[in-house]
Amino acid sequence: MADNTMGWDEFEIGAMLRSFDGPIKDIALTPQEERNYSPNNSFTASVADWRIEKPIFNKDYCIDCQFCWIYCPDVSIVSRDKKMLGVDYDHCKGCAICVEVCPTNPKSLLMFPEQEDEEAAIASWPEKEEKEK
Amino acid sequence: MAFDKMELNEIEVWDGNFAAAQALRQVQVDVVSAYPITPSTPIVEGYAKFLADGYVEGEFMMVESEHAAMSGCIGASAAGGRVATATSSQGFALMVETLYQASGMRLPIILNVVNRALAAPLNVNGDHSDMYLGRDSGWIQFDSYNPQQAYDLNFIAFKVAEDHEVRLPAMVHQDGFMTSHTAQGVKTLSDDEAYGFVGEFKPMNDMLDLENPVTHGVQTEEDWHFEHKARQHHDLMTKVFPKIEEAFDAFEKLTGRKYNIVEEYMTDDAEVAVVALGTSVETAVEVAKEMREQEGIKAGVIGIRVFRPWPFEYIAEAIKGIKALGALDRSSPNGAMGALYNELAGILVNSDEKAVLTNYIYGLGGRDLTKAHLKEIFKELKANADAGKPTTELQQFIGVRGPKLAYL
Amino acid sequence: MLEIRWHSRAGQGAVTGAKGLADIVATTGKYVQAFAFYGSAKRGAAMTAYNRVDDKEILNHEKYMKPDYVFVIDPALVFTTDVTINHKPTTKYIITTHMSTDELKEAQPKLADKEVYTVDCIKIAQETIGRPIPNTPMLGAFMKVSGMYDIEFFKENMKRVLAKLPQKIIDANMLAIQRAYDEVK
Repeated sequence: MADNTMGWDEFEIGAMLRSFDGPIKDIALTPQEERNYSPNNSFTASVADWRIEKPIFNKDYCIDCQFCWIYCPDVSIVSRDKKMLGVDYDHCKGCAICVEVCPTNPKSLLMFPEQEDEEAAIASWPEKEEKEK
Repeated sequence: MAFDKMELNEIEVWDGNFAAAQALRQVQVDVVSAYPITPSTPIVEGYAKFLADGYVEGEFMMVESEHAAMSGCIGASAAGGRVATATSSQGFALMVETLYQASGMRLPIILNVVNRALAAPLNVNGDHSDMYLGRDSGWIQFDSYNPQQAYDLNFIAFKVAEDHEVRLPAMVHQDGFMTSHTAQGVKTLSDDEAYGFVGEFKPMNDMLDLENPVTHGVQTEEDWHFEHKARQHHDLMTKVFPKIEEAFDAFEKLTGRKYNIVEEYMTDDAEVAVVALGTSVETAVEVAKEMREQEGIKAGVIGIRVFRPWPFEYIAEAIKGIKALGALDRSSPNGAMGALYNELAGILVNSDEKAVLTNYIYGLGGRDLTKAHLKEIFKELKANADAGKPTTELQQFIGVRGPKLAYL
Repeated sequence: MLEIRWHSRAGQGAVTGAKGLADIVATTGKYVQAFAFYGSAKRGAAMTAYNRVDDKEILNHEKYMKPDYVFVIDPALVFTTDVTINHKPTTKYIITTHMSTDELKEAQPKLADKEVYTVDCIKIAQETIGRPIPNTPMLGAFMKVSGMYDIEFFKENMKRVLAKLPQKIIDANMLAIQRAYDEVK
């Protein structure tokens, strides 16, 4: 976050915030990690410590339906060319909406305790659930 | 750009509304977002007609209320356009919430306010209730006394407001009906002169600058809000007057018409003076001349040209040597002294000047301020000057029916 | 300073007439003012409009006026309103009526000791323009009574003021102005 020790004469007028430091071209084609985000932009603020549980992604079951990407309220699902890559743990608050909307069986995203090891979690992934007829 | 120019006569007989509409056309306003209300309606109607007839390239947005009208202006201005609208009275009152947004966001919107009384009781005629309602909103407020000035001050308002050192919205006030619907000779600028004076709109942090994305309308709490308001106040206190002076000088070079932040008429040797806004200033000037010729009273008039920022130092200079001042307020103070009285008292209280100050409430809901009223006021001020203290109550109502109304 | 008060009904064109007169006078280098008393006026309601003309800049914005001329462009207003209010001894009246000046003075005794001119602007307007819009004929009558401008000069300028109207209507207005000029007594 911006330095809130700044005095009234030290910032731009109009309570206006810039997204980036300097101009940006082809923003749509520039991946987030390559954008020069300004300190005012919430992209530079981590909310990782808000989480109690974290979603872990298991690509073995993912069908790249993009539901999690659409529903995530914090734009924390990382997807490129419609391929699901994983979770942005700097901005994920652990709300579990991605898990809720995941349609696969078993789910491709599941909530685990914050300290859980990713490999161990994937090793203990549940089996496909048989639906009762 | 694709629009036709208009040939104007050197002098056109225009009312204040049409003069303002012509000014909006000549500076090629990009967006007018409006909800028309009497008596300001012909201004936005005029712009819409110029647009329909191909004399201006822009957008006219019809919205569902004055709140939405100013909101539309704010959006268009933040997007990076030259923006203006007009309103009066109840419409102005509904706009108030968004006025603070516009000034806080430092958007140089021009609002033509055709001054009209505030209900109840409902009244379409001119007084300064709406102008006074806007005085803490962070806007620059220019005041015109006749149609010529309503025309001229629009150009000056755009030039000052859009300056990147200023970037504040500005109101151009004119008296409902007394200016807005009174046709008088208006010396015109050609389309090229007018546009050249104001210049091309220079956007700042506009939302349509896609290479430099910005967020407008942010939330701040106690950690930032005070600093932003302080910055806005600082700019109003220190940056606006020099820019207005510059614009007035440039306008005089172009047209020969000289405006001043505080207009002084016969104040050099004046013993008594009234301080007023709007058309009353001019009527008072005529009466002051007659007082000098017929009564031997050295009368003067101080007209407030810029009501906000409040020209504290300019008025302190203007009142030097004057022994009795009458503050003429055309708005019901509803349980206090009039605004001009209070502001003048604020100037006098720490000054070496010892003018006797009294307050006159007049003209509510368009009630005529006659020359006879003004003569009486000047005579009372003369008596105050001679006595060195008030000879009347501090606050008097002028031109109201019924038993005399005076307080304190 | 020349001051004129118009008595009219909203919709009869008094404001347009007052502004048109101001427009023409302004072209001769004089200073002008044209305004009206508005309320929440409905078409047909009695209203007043005003002109001021002077050689120097007009600063006075008071609505109060002791007129030099009173124009009455609706025949009933002489009886239903006081057209002599705030008069002075030299005030001249030009009144639209089907009556002669003497008949009118008899019908409205308030006018008995006044300088009154009469002309039937309503009838003239109906016969020329085809609508009861008596504002331009009133100005024709005013040119005759005041001798302010040569009638041809006035008509030429009035054509410019009316330029936005169809040619047929402009021609009819010229006819109306001339007839009122000729017929006012």
